[in-house]
Amino acid sequence: MANNTSNTCTYREGPLPACQALAVPMVPAQQSSQPAYDSGEALAKGTLFPGLDLPFMDYVATGPAENTPLGELMALDFVLQELALYLDTHPEDSEAFKTWKSFASLAEKGRKRYVELYGPVTRRDTAGFNAWVWPEDPWPWDNGGKGGKC
Amino acid sequence: MFVYEKKLQYPVRIKNPNPALAKFIITQYGGPDGELSASLRYLSQRYAMPYPALKATLTDIGVEELGHLEMIGAIVHQLTRNMTVEQAKEAGFQEYFVDHTAGVYAQAAAGWPFNAASFAVKGDVIADLTEDMGAEQKARATYDNILRMADDPDVIDVIRLLREREVVHFQRFGEAMELAVSQMDKRNIYAVNPAFDRPMGK
Repeated sequence: MANNTSNTCTYREGPLPACQALAVPMVPAQQSSQPAYDSGEALAKGTLFPGLDLPFMDYVATGPAENTPLGELMALDFVLQELALYLDTHPEDSEAFKTWKSFASLAEKGRKRYVELYGPVTRRDTAGFNAWVWPEDPWPWDNGGKGGKC
Repeated sequence: MFVYEKKLQYPVRIKNPNPALAKFIITQYGGPDGELSASLRYLSQRYAMPYPALKATLTDIGVEELGHLEMIGAIVHQLTRNMTVEQAKEAGFQEYFVDHTAGVYAQAAAGWPFNAASFAVKGDVIADLTEDMGAEQKARATYDNILRMADDPDVIDVIRLLREREVVHFQRFGEAMELAVSQMDKRNIYAVNPAFDRPMGK
């Protein structure tokens, strides 16, 4: 990313590089992984980043305000995905990578808790069970899946 | 290699059958700007992409879109699983019903079966990334149109989330474009196609 930026723009406007090639699509680069929503709010809104939260006709997020182990795991995994996409185009942002690592460890714990309560998330998780429970209903497309509210 | 996670990215819980909604939401399953097109477009573009950061972006967004395909499938399934034949007829769902019953089939809203032409792989870095930015905008606009017509809050909440993801993906493809261009010949970024000709710069 170009560092030759002006400080006069607000966050949503995004500082622009001073020099830019012609005849190529240009999107202003996000300058930081902060500010960020917390994990539950991020999942509800569909983005971790307030600057990218641009709803249609101001449709407001209604859910999933859910304190279930599945809801928490979804929120943590969502933050991991969102930060991973950010890091793919900002590989040198060490602060964001530190945040990603701390969320990876939280998500690992959340995953273990969910698996103990409801069953395997990946097929390999089935190794921790006494029987082949992988095929058990409900699957994710039925009623919110295992541990989901109907 | 892919590993399946037995959960959705975001919960889909639709209480009431509504084949009229399923009839047009199916387009994000198998239509030209749908999730299947998006996923396999990005995953297929990876092979010719010369830059590591862009291989990662195409992989990570392509995989997420596959998760969105599953969510759209879940929406269509839940909107049609308990419908009666009467409801199907009232909703104008007969044409779909007679061919696919309450199954989830990859087709556009107007009934055309999925068309692989929508994958759009050019093997040229700037052309493919420009395509991807356009694809995200087309998907976003499709979700806008779905939101204009949907009347079930259970459906609207999920569509709203999927639409927001397109906005985020557009941002990342835009940044990926800048990363790619920054590695090309500054005097003339169109001097060569780094996906085919000898890469310029690093």
